[in-house]
Amino acid sequence: MSTILGAAAWWGGVTPMHGWNIATAVVVSASCALVGTLLVVRRMSLFGDAISHAVLPGIALAVLAGGRPGGPLVFAGAVAAALLTVWLTQGLRDAGGLAEDAGAGVVYTSLFAVGVVIVTLWGSGVHLDAACVLSGNLAYVAFDTMSVGGWELPRAFVAGGAVFGLLAAAALLTWKLQVYTAFDPAAAAAAGVPVAAVTAGLLAATALATVASFDAVGVILVVAMLVVPAAAAQLLVRRLHHMVLVAILLAVVGAWLGYLAAWRWNTNDAGMIAVVLGLEYLVAALLAPGDGVVSRVAGRLRLAWRVACEDRLAVLWRAEEAGGAALRPRSVVEWLAAAWLRAGGSIDGRSGGERLSPRGRRAAEMVVRSHRLWEAWLGRHAELPLDHLHPPAEWVEHHLGAAVRQRIEAELGSGESDPHGREIPPEA
Amino acid sequence: MTFAGIPHNTLVVAAGVAAVGFAAGVVGSLAVLRKRALVGDAAAHATLAGVACAFLATGRRDLATLLLGALASAIVAMGALVLVRRFTRTRDDAAIAIVISVSFGLGIALVSGIPRWGFPGSAGLEQFLLGHTAALTVRDAALLAAVSVGSAALVGLALKEATLVAFDAAFAAATGWPVTLIDSLVVALVATMVVVGLPAAGAVLVTALLVIPPVAARQWTERVGPMLLLAGAIGLTAALVGVAASAAVPRLPTGPLVVLAAAAIFAASFLAAPERGWIARRLRAARLEREWTKGRVLDRCLREADAAADAGFTRQEVEAAAAGDRRGGSRATSRAWDSLVHEGTLAPAAGGDRWRLTPDGAAAARERRRRLEVWDRAFDRAPDDVRAGLTIDLPAPESVLGAADD
Repeated sequence: MSTILGAAAWWGGVTPMHGWNIATAVVVSASCALVGTLLVVRRMSLFGDAISHAVLPGIALAVLAGGRPGGPLVFAGAVAAALLTVWLTQGLRDAGGLAEDAGAGVVYTSLFAVGVVIVTLWGSGVHLDAACVLSGNLAYVAFDTMSVGGWELPRAFVAGGAVFGLLAAAALLTWKLQVYTAFDPAAAAAAGVPVAAVTAGLLAATALATVASFDAVGVILVVAMLVVPAAAAQLLVRRLHHMVLVAILLAVVGAWLGYLAAWRWNTNDAGMIAVVLGLEYLVAALLAPGDGVVSRVAGRLRLAWRVACEDRLAVLWRAEEAGGAALRPRSVVEWLAAAWLRAGGSIDGRSGGERLSPRGRRAAEMVVRSHRLWEAWLGRHAELPLDHLHPPAEWVEHHLGAAVRQRIEAELGSGESDPHGREIPPEA
Repeated sequence: MTFAGIPHNTLVVAAGVAAVGFAAGVVGSLAVLRKRALVGDAAAHATLAGVACAFLATGRRDLATLLLGALASAIVAMGALVLVRRFTRTRDDAAIAIVISVSFGLGIALVSGIPRWGFPGSAGLEQFLLGHTAALTVRDAALLAAVSVGSAALVGLALKEATLVAFDAAFAAATGWPVTLIDSLVVALVATMVVVGLPAAGAVLVTALLVIPPVAARQWTERVGPMLLLAGAIGLTAALVGVAASAAVPRLPTGPLVVLAAAAIFAASFLAAPERGWIARRLRAARLEREWTKGRVLDRCLREADAAADAGFTRQEVEAAAAGDRRGGSRATSRAWDSLVHEGTLAPAAGGDRWRLTPDGAAAARERRRRLEVWDRAFDRAPDDVRAGLTIDLPAPESVLGAADD
């Protein structure tokens, strides 16, 4: 098995020994992504942040009490600390009228401070120190092994795998309840879904995923694994079950690449995993189909370009109507639009002696028709003075389709001219 | 030079860090009132990367250089937050978590990498994780104090505007105040205080210095000015505790102790503050509950008295009816009965265990009934107004009656 993992790690030029470290990072980040997706869609990312800080005193006390890292006592301590955080935050909100973010800010920083003090004062005897609390210790997970069915497996990997299995099973079994609660808690409660129990379960699952990741990435960078892949997946896909799968995929790739990057540049694995996940989010934000920054900017540019072309056609059409020469393009964009239209065969002749081709004239007529119909309609219904009709029509002319134009014309009555007394061109 | 056995150096550092604590409380108050409590956390976690970059770029390790780097990265983090909000569908909560975790990851990667990459004199950067005031020099302390005093003074100058924006941003915008500018000023002050708070509390916990003192101060007062000063005083106290502990136990980082001191003050405030404190609220709620039960028992007495004329009524039947339980009264109704007797509202009637209302008691009962009817009418006519009055955490509606009466 370690041969396979070694092969998977070969790409980065790392030795097979690193395979287990990568496998551990992958399995815990998958758990976090699974839970994190639900936190993100329920707008509870703050609790991910709070829980990841606040499990520290639970873990520290459990270790002092003799629990092994990754053992049941530590898991119990972490879940107890997580539930305490949530209970205190909600208590401060309900009994003290404190805003939820301020309350969480008080609770998790305080609990984290308690944890750091415990670890600093008494942690040295039990191999806990503040540095690995903050940044994890992925490089060493391969050395702490246990025997499972004859295999010598790293303890953190076994614990992480068990938690992932447990969380995946729980997610499959309660999926409908989770979805119902996430999207309409009021309706879910009315339909008899135990909303409070579902939420408590999600928070306990967050604590489990956090403590499973503790050895690998420390408590704070867990937040990156919980929230970042889920938020990136939310930008990429629309359906919740797609989001879970994409988030897990992103988390797995991020953990793998992050580990390799840390190895290559000789630095902390957990930090690099967070950085790679952040880069994944950046790519998703830029390139997401439809909503991504690139596709939105492209959409706006397309629109601006169409508007520029249509405006140029309308300028030429109006010049022909008035019997004069068209204005020369006044800006670079107008000049480019004119050149484009000439190349596309909508305009004949050189600059200065430009004329609309039959195709260009048809297109221009539709723009002017939209413009004048809209002016006429506004003049009748909006009681605007005559000189206020042009600017809105200048906007709307690019967005009216044939169907809307026909309805406006039907309402105005045919043969109507625009408020300035000019003829409205007929529909093509 | 020493004072009471404490080295001069320690005293100056303590004064500088105390100024940081004070200013952090003052600036944090504005952030908390503007519901921006956790925005500073994004800046705080990002500072580690800035500290590391400043060291990599200059090779220097003096506090001013490192803190300038921290300030730059705090501003970049805030900018990233704004961009994520503006250009993506990601919600605010997730946006903050993303900025916090990714920038902190970058910081950890840089701070862990720097010694391994063989940079000379790189030790000590990790002290910015959890804070370590024992290492501060007098010059560092003077720098921290100067920035803090400046920030607190700026808050003093812009207090009216910032308060207006915090409480009613829409109104402020409508009356022509530059809301975005004022918000930017608050955010810039938060970033500044996060940065100068680093030596005292560290990147992970410095938010607490901005959040906990204001939240604690809020328990004691309803006015902005006193809240700011009180928050400053609490921050100052917490910072001093941190310095003292850091001087006493050098291996203990300062940040957690500052936070624990602030948290202890918060816990005491949350429980014991006179108006908003938990104990005061519970006492008030219990008193209202008692008054209400007394009113119900009184009303029952009036009904029994009207039905039975001179014959009077028994304690048993009144209490059972008031408690809504056929088998008898509850402890609450029993206490209410006793206090009605004690006040002279009820008196023994002629025969045996029977009781009657005194004339004063009957008048009080009729007045209460009249007011409840007014209340019912008011509720029918303007239920939303009545409900709005009810949301002030009163278990009984009496308080609204006076208003509805008019």
